[in-house]
Amino acid sequence: MQEMIRLTDLKKSFGSVEVLKGISFSVNRGQVLSIIGPSGSGKSTLLRIITQLEKADDGSLVIDGQELFTSRSGQAVYNRENARAIGLKTGLVFQSFNLFPHFNVLRNITEAQRAVLRRSKDESEAKAMQLLRKMELEDKALMYPCQLSGGQQQRVSIARALALDPEILFFDEPTSALDPELTREILHVIRALAEEKMTMAVVTHEMNFAKAISDNAIFMDSGVIVEQGTELFSDPKEERTRKFISSFDS
Amino acid sequence: MSSLLVQMLEGTVTSLQIFFLTLLFSLPLGFVVARGRMSKIRIVRWLIDLYIQIMRGTPLILQLIFFYFAPFYLFGASYDRFTACIVAFVVNYSAYFAEIYRSGLQSIDKGQYEASHVLGFRKSYTFFHIILPQVIKKIMPALGNEVITLVKDTALAQTIGVAELFRVAQTASSREFSTVPIFIAGIFYFVMNYIVSRIFVLAEKKLDYYR
Repeated sequence: MQEMIRLTDLKKSFGSVEVLKGISFSVNRGQVLSIIGPSGSGKSTLLRIITQLEKADDGSLVIDGQELFTSRSGQAVYNRENARAIGLKTGLVFQSFNLFPHFNVLRNITEAQRAVLRRSKDESEAKAMQLLRKMELEDKALMYPCQLSGGQQQRVSIARALALDPEILFFDEPTSALDPELTREILHVIRALAEEKMTMAVVTHEMNFAKAISDNAIFMDSGVIVEQGTELFSDPKEERTRKFISSFDS
Repeated sequence: MSSLLVQMLEGTVTSLQIFFLTLLFSLPLGFVVARGRMSKIRIVRWLIDLYIQIMRGTPLILQLIFFYFAPFYLFGASYDRFTACIVAFVVNYSAYFAEIYRSGLQSIDKGQYEASHVLGFRKSYTFFHIILPQVIKKIMPALGNEVITLVKDTALAQTIGVAELFRVAQTASSREFSTVPIFIAGIFYFVMNYIVSRIFVLAEKKLDYYR
């Protein structure tokens, strides 16, 4: 199996606060990893480092065989030449969508295809329409983000990320800003992507969903991985995991 | 009467020259100042802040006098009134525009930068295509206010003897022992500002297609 992400001993501090204290995991092609844990456990920071929104302090990361950074005498040294190529292999879906409000739906999806991948207008629009059909939003192509519901906006942002044909897609609490009904829309889309064998890492608080789609799972608390493996949903070994999982039973 | 109107129209041309030249230079310069005000280098930030504080904290009329007389006292050389007037207006208005730009830039959600980064846009692309259009929409009302103030502020150029509309009106007024020229000047300013505010209403409408 081809390894798409290999993260080793990642460390990160903000000032004197150590938010990641040595995180290691790997994800194979076509697999879904879910990352769960309480707020402030470092999940988002982890995704933000892999998607290059934050810099690592120490550790090493290889994406699809290309090294983004490696540990040298206790410090993460970035491979600048690979950074951009790796960035194009990774896509990120945000909790707050972050669509471009001044572009209509279609342009939100075509802009990066044209500016970054240098695709033609026709090609990028065809790609965008194909993705919008998949998201069941083809009739919204000419609308502006402010005219859409939260669930529709999030589906547009997923289409925007997919338009660049990423090898790995990351989701940072994609449903936390949505009410339960809209949450279902999004989970449905992610599940469909999982069935197509899209490699994904999902930070989520939707336990049943995570359990259903994950090939692997990690439970994080205070900057460390407490427990790893999909058994943590049904048969958690650690006390902290047990407490966290049971807090979702109502 | 007709020769008075001709004189006043000539004065209006000078007023409009001050107006457009000030906008031409201070609108882009304001951006440079705003970037300096938000610089990571502390000394740059501090110096720019001091400059803005001085421009906002002292009367424009005083700044006009300063820029007209300072070169003479400092270097023994002077330049013409009109140039001094433009320099003073540009230096003053750049400071005000910079503060408006800064408020606009800081109101943009950082998620816009992050989404742009993740999608692979380069920094300048992100600024010109993603950030700037949103900033322009946000600052339109404040900008409109400032531009209207500028139309009226051009009257201050008379302090250093520039023959703009208000000076022409005042001279005529004292020559003819009548306040009519002053009143006519008032109408001129009102008409100019009516046009300016219409333009801004149109611009705001044009940008109203999204929130």
